[in-house]
Amino acid sequence: MSQNPTRKSEQVRRANRVIKNRTFWLMLIMGVLLFVILFFKLYSLQIVQHDELQAKAANQQMRSTVVTASRGTIYDRNGNVMAISATAETVFLSPMEIEEAQSDKENPPKWTKEFLAKELARILSVNEEGILKRMDNTDSQYEVIKLRADEELADQVRELINEYEIRGVYMVTDTKRYYPYSSLAAHVIGFVGNDNTGLYGLEARYEEELEGQTGLVVTAKAANEHDMLSEYEQYFAEKNGNDLVLTLDTTVQYYLEKNIAEMAEKHNAGQGATGIVLNAKTGAILAMASYPTYDLNDYGAIQNARLKAAIQSKQVSLGDMQLRQWRNKTLNDTYEPGSTFKILTLAAALEEGVIDMNTTFDCPGYIKVSDATIHCTSKHGHETIQQTAANSCNPAFITYGLRLGNEKFYEYMKAFGMMDGSGVDLDGEAKGIFMDPSKFSQLDLACYAFGQNFNITPIALVAAQAACINGGYLHEPYVVEKIVDDDGNVVYQHDNTPIRKIVSEKTSANVRECLETVVASGTGKNGQVAGYRIGGKTGTADKGKTGKVVVSFTCFAPADDPEIIMLITMDEPDESIMSASGGGSVAPYSGKVMAEILPYLGIEPTYTAEELLGADTTVPNVVKLTVDEARQKIKDRGLDCRVVGGGDRITDQTPLGGAVIPGKSTVILYAGEKKPDTQCTVPNLVGRTPSEANTIVSNAGLLLRFSGTTDSSSGSIRVTSQSETAGSKVAAGTVITVQLSDSSVED
Amino acid sequence: MTQKERAEALRRRRSAEKLERKSREAAQGTVDMPFLLLTLLLTGVGLVMLFSASFPAAYYETGDAAYYFKRQLIFALLGLAAMFVISRVNYQRWRGMAKLLLGLSIFLLVLVIIPGVGITRNGATRWLGFGELLTFQPSEIAKLGVIVFFADSISKKREKMLTWRYGVVPYVAILGVVGIFMLLEPHLSGAILIVGTGAVMMAVGGMQGWLIGVGVGGVGAVAVLFIKLVDAGVIKYNADRILLWRDPWSDAGDAGYQICQSLIAIGSGGLLGVGLGKSRQKFLYLPERHNDCIFAIVCEELGLIGACVIMLIFVLLIIRGFWIALHAKDRFGALLVVGVITQVALQTFLNIAVVTGLIPATGISLPFFSYGGTALALQLVEMGIVMSVSRQIPAPRNG
Repeated sequence: MSQNPTRKSEQVRRANRVIKNRTFWLMLIMGVLLFVILFFKLYSLQIVQHDELQAKAANQQMRSTVVTASRGTIYDRNGNVMAISATAETVFLSPMEIEEAQSDKENPPKWTKEFLAKELARILSVNEEGILKRMDNTDSQYEVIKLRADEELADQVRELINEYEIRGVYMVTDTKRYYPYSSLAAHVIGFVGNDNTGLYGLEARYEEELEGQTGLVVTAKAANEHDMLSEYEQYFAEKNGNDLVLTLDTTVQYYLEKNIAEMAEKHNAGQGATGIVLNAKTGAILAMASYPTYDLNDYGAIQNARLKAAIQSKQVSLGDMQLRQWRNKTLNDTYEPGSTFKILTLAAALEEGVIDMNTTFDCPGYIKVSDATIHCTSKHGHETIQQTAANSCNPAFITYGLRLGNEKFYEYMKAFGMMDGSGVDLDGEAKGIFMDPSKFSQLDLACYAFGQNFNITPIALVAAQAACINGGYLHEPYVVEKIVDDDGNVVYQHDNTPIRKIVSEKTSANVRECLETVVASGTGKNGQVAGYRIGGKTGTADKGKTGKVVVSFTCFAPADDPEIIMLITMDEPDESIMSASGGGSVAPYSGKVMAEILPYLGIEPTYTAEELLGADTTVPNVVKLTVDEARQKIKDRGLDCRVVGGGDRITDQTPLGGAVIPGKSTVILYAGEKKPDTQCTVPNLVGRTPSEANTIVSNAGLLLRFSGTTDSSSGSIRVTSQSETAGSKVAAGTVITVQLSDSSVED
Repeated sequence: MTQKERAEALRRRRSAEKLERKSREAAQGTVDMPFLLLTLLLTGVGLVMLFSASFPAAYYETGDAAYYFKRQLIFALLGLAAMFVISRVNYQRWRGMAKLLLGLSIFLLVLVIIPGVGITRNGATRWLGFGELLTFQPSEIAKLGVIVFFADSISKKREKMLTWRYGVVPYVAILGVVGIFMLLEPHLSGAILIVGTGAVMMAVGGMQGWLIGVGVGGVGAVAVLFIKLVDAGVIKYNADRILLWRDPWSDAGDAGYQICQSLIAIGSGGLLGVGLGKSRQKFLYLPERHNDCIFAIVCEELGLIGACVIMLIFVLLIIRGFWIALHAKDRFGALLVVGVITQVALQTFLNIAVVTGLIPATGISLPFFSYGGTALALQLVEMGIVMSVSRQIPAPRNG
């Protein structure tokens, strides 16, 4: 067919060769080169940029849901709950949605804005006007109307929503802090703010321990916000907060607060009052009170009448008064301690040997130091060392201080922790305010020796006083005994090792002896508690030249081996009502607190023979016994009896068996006769002498028990208060406890 | 009819019969096993990855997680059946269909851009079909049309390929017509693919060597110049596309969203991947996750290693394909295979280059992997053509 087969086959061969050659090169380019390029690009993305791109992936693919951790609980030392978190719900509105629902023509609402506002206001106890106002912000979708409502209230709101098919009202779960004891130990416990973060007290101090760790559930989500089909979930468990177990004792705290409040109100204390009860041997704080106080569950509200009145008279702002009531005066504020400080001067002087138990002093009623004359409360004359303490004799203590010398005295101040503070585990402890040692003059020393011209906190003082009487060991006072995690493991336990030993056991014993004299026969006699050996020291300090005073009383018991020590102060008692002094105004209340808490704390009373006669005794149950048997049994208990009726056997008795009444009281036994259910009227005993009170009470058909000072040598002892209100009706045989107080004491 | 004529007719018939017999004998040779296995492997792996990449979208859109997979599977089975049939057909038969196929392709390309006839998706009118269920892209037919026509035409030209008149102008004209129609859809990536495949076939087919150099150099120079001019702010057309390619994160939330999501998917895969089926990007983050971007899901799930294994399968398929071309019985067979394999190789490269951000984004699917039933079926048909060529490879002479 072809004219030139050779040429043709040549052409074919050439064409075939070209195709083969070029196909070969193409194979290398398409099959190798292109994919090598792709490999390097993939390597760069998947290996080099892996971390960066993976982070971007995680960022968009993961949804993390916060799981709120439960805040730790705060317990007192007996396991009573002082602060606890519970579920609550925050109610909020979406005004935008409410507006839409209202103007919905297809599904007209069964409710009106006004109706909704009224109902919500009723259920949640909030202002109706406020809700209506918020509903007007129709651009908004989030208007909180009640923060952390209780579950029951939230349920009521839910019912309302369901019943009327209300739209635009929502609730989110939250937690709320509850303080079961309301105001008790408010200044120690503190409170949390709206964000559940501790703002004051332990709640703030131990925020990190209490708050726990918010948990996180990380789930993979699709771009349309649904959960991914493939299961991916990473769970960072929430860690509930740790619990605090305190050294506080709610019972001790209660008695302390009750009496401080009574005292401050009676004296119309201008700047409040404080009280601290310490374990004298460990520094554990059993109770710590600051007056005025407030309700932790409603911490913004002013509780104290005096502060309320101040706000109403527009002298001060609400904010200022809130700050005032939140202040823990026992450690946030310093004061000039006055004579209670003499305990430290005494301990230092005894330890240094500049005085001993045989030292005597002649008080001329004043002392001259560096050309200045410092007066004493009276001309005490010749005094033993115990009497200098009992009389709170300024010249004597100035002399002790001067004998120590500036340097030594200053060293002891430092050793007692006066400069740096006590180190208590609470926030905001103020440091002491002292003169610079280089300017510390003789006259300054003289003033310091009886507790004037410098400022310290009550907590630092009582911690140092404890060291003077407990054998010389200075402890950091503390309120947190241990911290327990959610699983019950103890993660922190307070270490009781003392900071340092300041004075010897012998010095300490001597100090105790002197201070016991103060309460037994000196300025502290109003702090006596029947059955207990109490040591103490009164203090009445001038507040500069303002003419106002801070009165205080430190006491401890038992005096020979102190278990507890207590300091109560009252700032600016109103002396236009009655004159105030540590011994006269504070000690009686200290005595009352001690009388309640010492038996409660299991410290056994030890009665002297004399006291034993009048000591309390338990009435035996003699019902169903023969008259003679009953008489004998009553007599054995040191009680008298009177039999009413002519039967052989006792049918009833007043008081009933088991009642505790003062010794030598008369028990009425009924033999066949019916016990009259007469009610006796409680007579007014305040201002009476002990013997007058006894007569009046017996005549009223009641029983009497004394508390407080019973030093019969003083003619100035009077009843200052009574356990049952005068004029009230009580059953016959009821024991009326009266507080006795010596109104003649001056410091 | 004269004796001479009769003898001539008889000779022709005998000749044709002989040819027929020979070709039947040749066509009865065995299919190239490596190529067949690689094809089946890619189809299988592609189906698995399609299922993995598509189930979240399928679930959210239809409630049936296997919705896309099932459709793809049906087309894969149909395609495989077609592949086996076509692999048994003597590829010489395609010669006769070359002009018809090209004509049909151009007809369909015209048809699809007539308003109201083509189906528009995402702003591009690329589909013809009977309702929404059975649709196909005329460009897929056009690929086959151009390859078959070029192979037939070029194989006949021999040294005429060296001339402008016969070796360049007609092919450039055809590619120009096809390319312009496709740009009207618009379907840039499809046009690039067809023009690229056609150009490669021209080059392999015996075009002047220096023209190849000029062509390659010219395309490169134009590309570089274009990018420079865009950077200089002279050219505004497609400027956004180029700037986005340079820094996709500059607009990661909008225009750069797809490429950024693709990069996130690839990058988060790391060396070993998050595990088969465990991609998170496919949960509606990555657009086109079972279409153009399926390879990003492959990278995320199987890591660099898995991605390389899959690329290696492609590489082996391509190399084996060219091996078949090198050993093909004739130029037509060789060019047919070169066209098919070049098109698969180019498409694979361009797809991976786009999802990895190597080149500016353009919509191009990954052979055997991307969702698209008719495309997959046609791909398998093309593989069938390669196999039919492989059946006629003369057995190596012993000795």
